[in-house]
Amino acid sequence: MQFTLKRKSEETSSEGVKSHFEAVIIGAGPAGLTAAIYLGRSKIDTVIFEKMVPGGYIVSTDWIENYPGFPDGVSGEELGGLFEKQSSKFGVRTENVEVTGVDFEARPMIVETMNGSYTASAIIVATGTKSKKLGVPGEDELIGKGISLCATCDAPFFEGEDIVVVGAGNSGIQESLYLSKFARSIRIIEFLDHPTAERILLDRIKEIGKIELLLSHRVTRFIGDDRLTGVEVEKRDFNQKRILDVKGAFIYVGLVPNAGFLKGSIDMDKEGFIETNQELKSSKEGVFAAGDVRITSLRQVATAIGDGALAAFKVRQYLEGR
Amino acid sequence: MGFLREEDKEYLRNEFKKRLKREVELLHFTDKNDNSDYLQSSKALLEELVELNDYLTLTVKDCSDRAELESEGLLMCPATKIKSSRKGFINFYGIPAGYEFSGFVEDIIDMGSDNLPLPDDVVLALSKIDEPIDIKVFITSACPYCVKAVRTAHLFSLANDNVRASMIDAYGFSDLAREHNVSSVPHIVVNDRVSFVGALPEKEFLSRIMESIR
Repeated sequence: MQFTLKRKSEETSSEGVKSHFEAVIIGAGPAGLTAAIYLGRSKIDTVIFEKMVPGGYIVSTDWIENYPGFPDGVSGEELGGLFEKQSSKFGVRTENVEVTGVDFEARPMIVETMNGSYTASAIIVATGTKSKKLGVPGEDELIGKGISLCATCDAPFFEGEDIVVVGAGNSGIQESLYLSKFARSIRIIEFLDHPTAERILLDRIKEIGKIELLLSHRVTRFIGDDRLTGVEVEKRDFNQKRILDVKGAFIYVGLVPNAGFLKGSIDMDKEGFIETNQELKSSKEGVFAAGDVRITSLRQVATAIGDGALAAFKVRQYLEGR
Repeated sequence: MGFLREEDKEYLRNEFKKRLKREVELLHFTDKNDNSDYLQSSKALLEELVELNDYLTLTVKDCSDRAELESEGLLMCPATKIKSSRKGFINFYGIPAGYEFSGFVEDIIDMGSDNLPLPDDVVLALSKIDEPIDIKVFITSACPYCVKAVRTAHLFSLANDNVRASMIDAYGFSDLAREHNVSSVPHIVVNDRVSFVGALPEKEFLSRIMESIR
């Protein structure tokens, strides 16, 4: 039995006292926590705001095998905890609070949180992403009633059941491997005619046996009243629909940025990912973006770590050059 | 060997020393005849915790003492209620293991201080509730998001003691979880009438509560 202890910063601002920091990091995932390590070591007065739990999206990932330094792999929970432990060593405060708004035009800039306002000379946005939904009928109504976005949270509720996983990328295949410990059968539904996951993961699902890939298929609706009872799928180009009788569906079809609170205050692409240059500067002076929340071609722990280090370095240069 | 690492104990000693202002009782109901790891671990963890600060005490009672259980407003066992002279109903059905442990520690500190980290407008809205509200938050210990929902529910109880809030381990109390159609966590049930899934921000959480009393 494990007991996870998240350490709280020494000073908290629950009274809503206005405070100034040289640097504010929004988001305590791998990118934000790495930036905190670098800024903390540079003795730059920094605070992190995190609305959920430190570690970011990876804490809901069962197992990570492609992050160097862990030859046997590491759970997302453990890796996130290690990142947090290392960042807190260098004196950066982490506040468990949601950022509700920003003013990037003001100088110093203003960060509004549920617990009050703060000012900052530089800001790193590292808010990461969350799971994308399919946008098909029945989905919103049945999320939490058989449709889940978190296998590590909910897998045991589907012990002995037939389920589907939507998406055959790395996340979909990795989480299917975890779900296979509980479910009786898993059908992975992939729109493309090939899975996009790494070959090593695909080899593993073959070994397990109870996982079937349905390529060139798409989900057209989720069926059920109070509880999911089936998923309607269509084979591409054939216009033929059929219903899979399943009790559970886990969706891994991509990511959407956690940047809704920044809309209108910073340049983004159509999907809401933040535009940056090579130095991770955003369209607003003094505002940098790092990790999965920015426009990038690869979203992995390893790339987020690199972003966090670079963003912190550029913040330091920016603060020194003012 | 204990459950808490020495460095965690040191951290907790410091936190409790700095932040506890009054006595806090951990009232733990368990089946004294059940030697399962699950129950023994829970009791042992609480024993370790209360050793870290003189303000903390542990009272262990048996599940068979139904009158005592009910007099505390509890329905099931095992349960751990955090009590102090501060008003509020903060309870855990099952073990606050995994991610829930951090929330459990924060709840102890809140009960032993005047801490209420909620937005002012939420506190004001909560203060106007004049009827009983029962919040059940179903969780799994591997869920990183659930602790946020449990904390929010417990803070609501500190803001207004008409609100009673309990964490419920969905595996340990699987029959109740099935009864409430739980298949994703955190799954929150208000007054056995309104239910929703997700660790919602405080204002949204509050609006769901208000739905239950309309």
